[in-house]
Amino acid sequence: MISETHVGRSYPPSAPYLVSAAKVAEFAAALGDADNPAYAGPDAVAPPTFAVLLSSAAWQAMFDDPELELSLSSTVHTDQRFTWHRPLRVGDAVTATLTIDRVRARGNSAFISLTVALDADGERVCEAASTLLHSWPEGKAA
Amino acid sequence: MTDIEVGTVLPSITATFTRQTLVRYAGASTDFNPIHYSDAAAAALGLPGVIAHGMLTMGTALRVVTDWCGDPARVLSYYVRFVKSVPVPDDADGATVTFGGTVTKMEDGIATVTVEATLDGVKVLGGAKAEVRCD
Repeated sequence: MISETHVGRSYPPSAPYLVSAAKVAEFAAALGDADNPAYAGPDAVAPPTFAVLLSSAAWQAMFDDPELELSLSSTVHTDQRFTWHRPLRVGDAVTATLTIDRVRARGNSAFISLTVALDADGERVCEAASTLLHSWPEGKAA
Repeated sequence: MTDIEVGTVLPSITATFTRQTLVRYAGASTDFNPIHYSDAAAAALGLPGVIAHGMLTMGTALRVVTDWCGDPARVLSYYVRFVKSVPVPDDADGATVTFGGTVTKMEDGIATVTVEATLDGVKVLGGAKAEVRCD
């Protein structure tokens, strides 16, 4: 089960995700921002929170780690921070690397703080830091 | 954008989330957690019904900032706590969330905007702040 001993654990980078014009347009439309010219055309950038598509996919590596005994369906997302070094752009091939920053166990639940680093062509584009609250069934203490 | 003062109030926006909005965001974000489309799945977790994705609320709220500064590439950072869920009923009215922002700090050409998101007057995001490059 996850504990403070797992702080610092990292998982291998994800396979590169290619940011497409179609996905950027779809994401902007889902935020009600389809008419924003920044998200269209040859110099299109992605909406800033597009980064979550890549960062949350990287959470899977942690949920797949059998030692931690975590499941996504027992998890609540409690906070989110993004730090952008530049916007994500159409054509970027982005890898995501997750590191566990902090674990605070409380009875049958634990607050897990993690950072997903997003890199494109060897350049840091964004850090997406999340706090997750994970609960185990009663009687199983972290 | 260099003459921005602390206390500047950004134009507010409203957004209506219906079940269709949630399905659209699920597909766009690939977040297919069933609590965002199935009342039964939501009830199994003790929720009164389907709720909006926190990230949908976070992403929509940032439109206050990107509409104001005109260029999403100016946004340097953004933080929110998800303090209250947004229930989305299965009807045409959905849930209407109001978003606003105020410049609360201006330093070295970077404006800090405190962002607010409310549903029926109750805050759904806590401590929400974005930093925007204004040079």
